[in-house]
Order: sequence, then C-alpha cells, then structure tokens
Amino acid sequence: MKWNPVFRRELTVGSRSIRMAVILVVFNGILAVVALFNLYSVMEQVKITAEIQYSRFLDLYTFVSAIEFIMLMFIMPALTASSISGERERQTLELMLTTTMEPREMVMGKLYSSLTTMLILAVSALPIQSLVFVYGGITVADIGLLFLCHGIVAALTGGIGLFCSSCLKRSTISTVCTYVILVLLVAGTYAVNVFAYRMDLNEVNSYVSALASTVRRASSGGFLYLLLLNPAATFYAVINGQAGSGDLRSVFEQWFGAMPDNWVTEHWIFASLAAQLILAVILIAAAVCTVTPWRMRPHRERRPVRRAKEKYKLKTAD
Amino acid sequence: MLEIKDLRKKYGNFQALDGLNLEIADGELFGFVGPNGAGKTTTLKIMAGLLSPDEGSVRMGDMDMLQDSRALRMKIGYVPDFFGVYDNLKVSEYMEFFASCYGILGLQARKRCSLLLEQVKLEDKADFFVDGLSRGMKQRLCLARALIHNPDILLLDEPASGLDPRTRVEFTQILRELRDQGKTLIVSSHILSELSELCTSIGIIEQGKMVLQGSMEQIFERINSSNPLLISVFSNKEKALTILKSHPCVQTIAVRGDEIKLGFIGDRQDEAMLLQQLIDADVLISGFMREKGSLETLFMQITGHEEEKAVLKHEMESGI
Repeated sequence: MKWNPVFRRELTVGSRSIRMAVILVVFNGILAVVALFNLYSVMEQVKITAEIQYSRFLDLYTFVSAIEFIMLMFIMPALTASSISGERERQTLELMLTTTMEPREMVMGKLYSSLTTMLILAVSALPIQSLVFVYGGITVADIGLLFLCHGIVAALTGGIGLFCSSCLKRSTISTVCTYVILVLLVAGTYAVNVFAYRMDLNEVNSYVSALASTVRRASSGGFLYLLLLNPAATFYAVINGQAGSGDLRSVFEQWFGAMPDNWVTEHWIFASLAAQLILAVILIAAAVCTVTPWRMRPHRERRPVRRAKEKYKLKTAD
Repeated sequence: MLEIKDLRKKYGNFQALDGLNLEIADGELFGFVGPNGAGKTTTLKIMAGLLSPDEGSVRMGDMDMLQDSRALRMKIGYVPDFFGVYDNLKVSEYMEFFASCYGILGLQARKRCSLLLEQVKLEDKADFFVDGLSRGMKQRLCLARALIHNPDILLLDEPASGLDPRTRVEFTQILRELRDQGKTLIVSSHILSELSELCTSIGIIEQGKMVLQGSMEQIFERINSSNPLLISVFSNKEKALTILKSHPCVQTIAVRGDEIKLGFIGDRQDEAMLLQQLIDADVLISGFMREKGSLETLFMQITGHEEEKAVLKHEMESGI
C-alpha cells in the first residue's frame, strides 16, 4: 500500500512531538472531570431523594458529547490553519511543488493527519462516553451518528483551516481567519436568523394590530437554511434527537419562528450534514487549486492574458 | 540542449525578465551571473516550474517544459537559495520523504538515499536531526535531496552563499563530480572567481536580459582582448613610442619607467605584428603581454552603473 508521503511524514514528526500527548491529556482530563462531577451529583441526589434519576445519565452523555464537540471545533482549526502556511514559512512548500507529488496529495495528507488526530481524540474519549451504556438510553447507532456528525464537522473545520492556510502566507493570520470564519458560521448564522425573526415579528405584530386578523406567523424566512451550514445547530439537532425532547421543529420554531414544511426541514440532520460535507469538499478543492502552481492547471489558465490585452489595446489604438 | 526563448516576466510594474534568451548544451556547467534583482532567481524558478512566464518558452530538445509538467519535474532538480528543512526529522527520513514524493519507495529509496548521502559526504549523519546540521551540511543535504530522482538538469540558486571557504571548496568539488557524471548544472552565484574555475560556460544577465553568454574560453578571450597591452622595453624606448603612436590599433599610451601600457584594440595577429615591428626597429623588448583580466572586471564593466562604467572607462583611457 502506498502511503501519502505528507501524511506519513506528519505522523513521524507528530509521534516525536509532545503536543499530541498534551492534547490527549487535556481533552480526556476535561471530559473525565465533567463525567466525574455528573456522577458525583447523581450520587448526592440519591442521598437526598433516595431515588436514582436515570435521565441524569443522559445528561452525562450530553455533557461529554458537547464538550467533545466544542473541543473538536477548537482543536481542528488549530491543527489545519497552519499546515500549508507553515510549509510556506519553512520554505518547504516550493521544494514539494518541484516533486512529482500532486498538490492534491499534499493537501489531503495534511487533512488526513488532522483527521487522524481527531480520530485518536474521539476514540480515546470512548471509555468516558460509554459510561452512559451502564444505565442505557443511548444505542450504538446513536453513538455512530454522533461520530458521523463529529467527523463531518472535523472535515468542515479542517477544510476552512486548509483553505485559509493555502491562501494566506502567515500561519498566525491564517489561524485568526479560520476562527473568524468558524465564529461567523456558528454565531453569525444564528444571529442573522434571530435578527430576521425579530424584524419579521415586529412587522407581523404591526400588521396584526392594524388589521386585527392574520394567518401569517413570523419567521426568519430563507435565512433559516443558513443554519444548515452551522455545525453547532447540527450537533444540537443530533443531541436533541438522542437525549433531548426529540422535537427539533418546536425548538427551532421557538427560536426562529415558523418553519416551512419541506424535505429539508423534515430531514434536517441529514440535510445539514450533507451541506457541510459539500462545503468541506469545496473548501478542500479550493485549497488544492490555490496550492497548485500554474503549470499544473489546465492550459487555458496558464497563459496570462495581460500581454494579449495590451497588444489588443495597442492595435485598437492604432 | 536546454533552450530558453524570449522569456518575459513582470511583477507589478517591475519587469523582472525582458526577453531573456539562453542556450545550454547537455553536460554543461553553466554559470548564471548577474547583480541582485537581475532576474536570476526568477529564471530558475520558471525553469523549475514554480513560476509562470508572461511570455516565452523553455524547451529541452523537442519537449516544451512549460507544457509537460511531469516531465519537467522528473528532469529537473532544484536547489533554492534557502534550505527548506523540517524540525524533528532525521537526515535519512528527510531524504526518504522526498524520495516518496517522487514515488521512490522502500528498499529502492533507502539505497538511493544512502548512495546520495555518501556522494555528498553525509553518510555518517543519516541518523542526525536535520535542524542540528551545520549550514554547509544542510546545503549538501539539499543538493542530495535535489538529486534523489536522478534529474538530468540541476538548478542551483546561490549554492555557496554563506558557506565557509573549506565547505565551499568541498561543495565545488561535488559539483565537479556531478558535471563529470554528465549532468547539466545551472549555477547562479555571485562568487565569480569560483564560477570562472568551475563553469564550462557562463551567462551574464542584467535587468532581465542576457547581456553576454558564451564558453569560458570565449569569455576570457573577450576579457583579455579588452585589457591593456603591457610592453617592457629594455632599450630604445623613444623609437618604440614613435612606432606605437603611429600604430592604428593603439588608442592610449601610458608610460611608467620602462613599462608602456597600451590601450590596444587589435587581435592576436595585430599583437604579433606590432611585436615584430618593434623588434625590426631594434627595440629590445623584455616583456610583451596582455594584462590578465578577471570575470569580476568584465562583470563590473557590463553590469556596473553609469558612474562605475565611467570610472572604468576613465581608468582604461588614462592607462591607470
């Protein structure tokens, strides 16, 4: 089997660095502390009420999954945002571009490396997450769906990081831009929906007071579909379906007003995971295009048109 | 034969290459000389496929190297003017990584790496970390890295800059060995004395244009033909001066003791005829030779700024 050279090198270098060990200790340490506090509070509750609240174990699952998700959102951009710009800063990118390795392999090697780190983190957190299996309530399929959600979120955040890293020369700027884009995706799409809903609510209220009768309900309109790209919204939808009320529609309607009845809103989790996966693929493809030197691009893109335009201008001037 | 035709490249308003033409035969060790900002690195980067030219072509035999990128990458090894090394990677791992980038894997890669490390005299450093190597060792490692896929053409951008004299000599020796192996080497450098000893041909670039190109013999012939002629007269100096003043090839005459320094524009035959003429006039000559020129002198003459050119011209004319 032919290994991706970049992936292999990243594994070699990563295995020598203390960074991975530190990340694992911090990540699992936080998860363990949350889990222990949850178990402790359940036990304390038993002492007072003499009954075990099994729903609290589902809370443990929610807590651990949420912390895992938040940490993935923070760690993945940090891993990818400096990957290509770091090569550029070390001046090794040019050296790699003179080899027969395709830029696609280079970018994918970086992505594999980051996803492997994420996989190690997710697998290392399984024992803590599996505490919930002691009392039941969560199936293996639920854990699988959560893993899928985490995987796609990792691909999306990794894609954003790789794209910024390929476009920007400095790792610091690239990291900042990656987090800004991520904040825009998570908080920005939410804020836009809330704002649109409030605006529409004002309009509907004035309309109602004017005519005293209406059938229209306020909503955030088409902005709702922006939430398909929001990883936090997707995660909430997954967790709500597994350990929450399970009625995503009522929660969304409470926050953003009326939700239209269509295929997307009925299959929100699937649609949002698909949308995020598509966005991740687009971003990774854009990163590959940005890294690709001129000579590997299709012929029509190679020849700059500036001189041709200058010649044309001269001719027309004559 | 590597052939560059009418290469043009502009960075914003700055014309880095302005119709550069260059021909390098197979097996040559070509010295690429020019002042800072003349366009050397740009040319090398275009040849390595890292930059696109605005116009022009780079051909190797029948192959357009700007079109066939894979062939270009297989045929060219590039040593930039920086090291480009990874922390936490050993010398052997660094080499094997670049071997795998060319699709050379396993035992074949290990054999190739150890052979090249031996060639650049780093075989005992295979298990050392790259960032712990000295500057000279890093430069040799970079050379070995560029040779990993056995390229026909090796592009070296300022390879000897920052190296101590001993390391430089060792590095030059490795380049000679590569030349003897039949590889075409294109070396951009500012250390002209070394280039003049090492190279088989040379090209001087200024403001994106090739101002002079040829074999070392041709270049030195040109350097020498533009240098003053030194005549040491043992006796009958007055008669010698009379002959010289009337000679059509003599432009300037400077006399210092028994030595006469001539600005002489003739070729070797004219020099021989002048010597014969002086001997026939009973002038006793104890020395008759062209002043030895260097590549530096020519480089300064060609690439110098107007003031430097004026100084050189004045020096030539006044016979200093």
